[in-house]
Amino acid sequence: MPKIEVKNLEKSFGDLQVLKDINLEVEEGEVVCVIGPSGSGKSTMLRCLNGLETPTSGSIVIDGHHISDPNVDIDMARRNIGMVFQQFNLFPFMTVKRNVTFAPVTLKMMSQEEADKKAEHLLDRVGMLDKADAYPKQLSGGQQQRVAIARALEMNPDIMLFDEPTSALDPEMVGEVLNVMEHLASEGMTMVVVTHEMGFAKHVADRVIFIDEGVVVEEGTPEQVFDHPQNERTQNFLNMVLQ
Amino acid sequence: MSFFELLAQTWPRLLHGLGITLESTLISLALAAILGLVFGMLSVSRATGARAVARVYVDIIRGTPIIVQAFFIYFGITSALNFRMDPMTAGIITLTLNAGAYLAEIFRGGIQAVDKGQMEAARSLGLPYGMAMRKVILPQAVRTMVPAIVNQFIITLKDSSILSVIGLTELTQVGSLIIADNLESFKVWLIVGIMYFIIIMILSTISKKIEKRLKVNA
Ligand SMILES: Nc1ncnc2c1ncn2[C@@H]1O[C@H](COP(=O)(O)OP(=O)(O)O)[C@@H](O)[C@H]1O
Ligand SMILES: [Mg+2]
Repeated sequence: MPKIEVKNLEKSFGDLQVLKDINLEVEEGEVVCVIGPSGSGKSTMLRCLNGLETPTSGSIVIDGHHISDPNVDIDMARRNIGMVFQQFNLFPFMTVKRNVTFAPVTLKMMSQEEADKKAEHLLDRVGMLDKADAYPKQLSGGQQQRVAIARALEMNPDIMLFDEPTSALDPEMVGEVLNVMEHLASEGMTMVVVTHEMGFAKHVADRVIFIDEGVVVEEGTPEQVFDHPQNERTQNFLNMVLQ
Repeated sequence: MSFFELLAQTWPRLLHGLGITLESTLISLALAAILGLVFGMLSVSRATGARAVARVYVDIIRGTPIIVQAFFIYFGITSALNFRMDPMTAGIITLTLNAGAYLAEIFRGGIQAVDKGQMEAARSLGLPYGMAMRKVILPQAVRTMVPAIVNQFIITLKDSSILSVIGLTELTQVGSLIIADNLESFKVWLIVGIMYFIIIMILSTISKKIEKRLKVNA
């Protein structure tokens, strides 16, 4: 059974239809990169996956949880789905370590000691252990994003969603965040990554999806999509971003 | 009578009046904080019905003078329902409803000023809405709200003088009563004014200290 199964997903904001008949399956351990022009509905699709947006119609099943069912325990489902935002969204009044341990401790999933231990391990993995007692505003964007990734991983999710995790970063910090993500992918994490980093998509993705105007226009391996795009819209987009 | 003779003679009554002023203000503010929080929550809720209820309450309070509210509660409601209410109770109800509406607006503004990515991050980690609100949003909102909350405390303290119209023997009413005895209008109102002023200065000073403290930890 696929980890993520999206069928006939549609989403409108008022009269504006943002997603049109999206179908998507992601297998366990697969890394799927979503590319496409700004405003094409990439974030909306990703946010539907963990219920931050409510679909207008269609079904979303993640690890057996029917996300699109109004009666689903969405909080329970979200424990298993990590999300990393473009703007990091760290909690500014908590230290780095507290940011990481806050959710599982507050939700009584771990004791403070367990959470601390795991947080130290994760912060070490993303190279942020020496900043454990710092506050987010004392960190660079790249550092904040690495902490945000650790925060999501602390929940032990099976799936990680990334919404343009490097788009708000100065160019020299993009690499450090992509490295962490690549490492995560190599460990077998199931990942859906909305990104403008074509190098990352080419190199790390198992599958690339090109979305334009709310429609999946093209889908395939990185070689298929980047080297032999079938659709003219994909070709135009790639010409624009790759030059 | 010299100023100080007058002060010495009327001091016990003035202090008693000040006590009533502080008591009615503090009780009302404590209740209003709860009321304000509840209606502030309703006004940021996703349910249109809840938002409408909060809107109506705030609009009614903002759209009518507090003196009319006091009359309506003390005379209007008691005569319509045919029961008696003491001025202290009526006064506290008036101040609570009044300050509650303004505090609800302060809470709404404070909550809406917190970046909405904060709620999304908390929810995406599996926190239920109420828990995310309490543990992530409100701690950030309250920091920005402190000056406005203290300002509302000061306004409510001053508004409590209006309760003299329903016969509550708070500081302003005591001033009127003393003048009725001795006709020393100038000196008595000067003393009463200074007493309000000192209390409010103390409040402002405390508030500035809290603001500074919060800025350091922000
Ligand atoms: N909450 C919202 N309300 C109204 N329109 C929205 C909302 N969120 C996104 N949109 C619109 O939906 C479209 C797709 O947005 P988005 O999914 O953010 O695109 P992308 O992430 O591909 O840049 C845009 O036209 C955007 O303005
Ligand atoms: Mg986006």
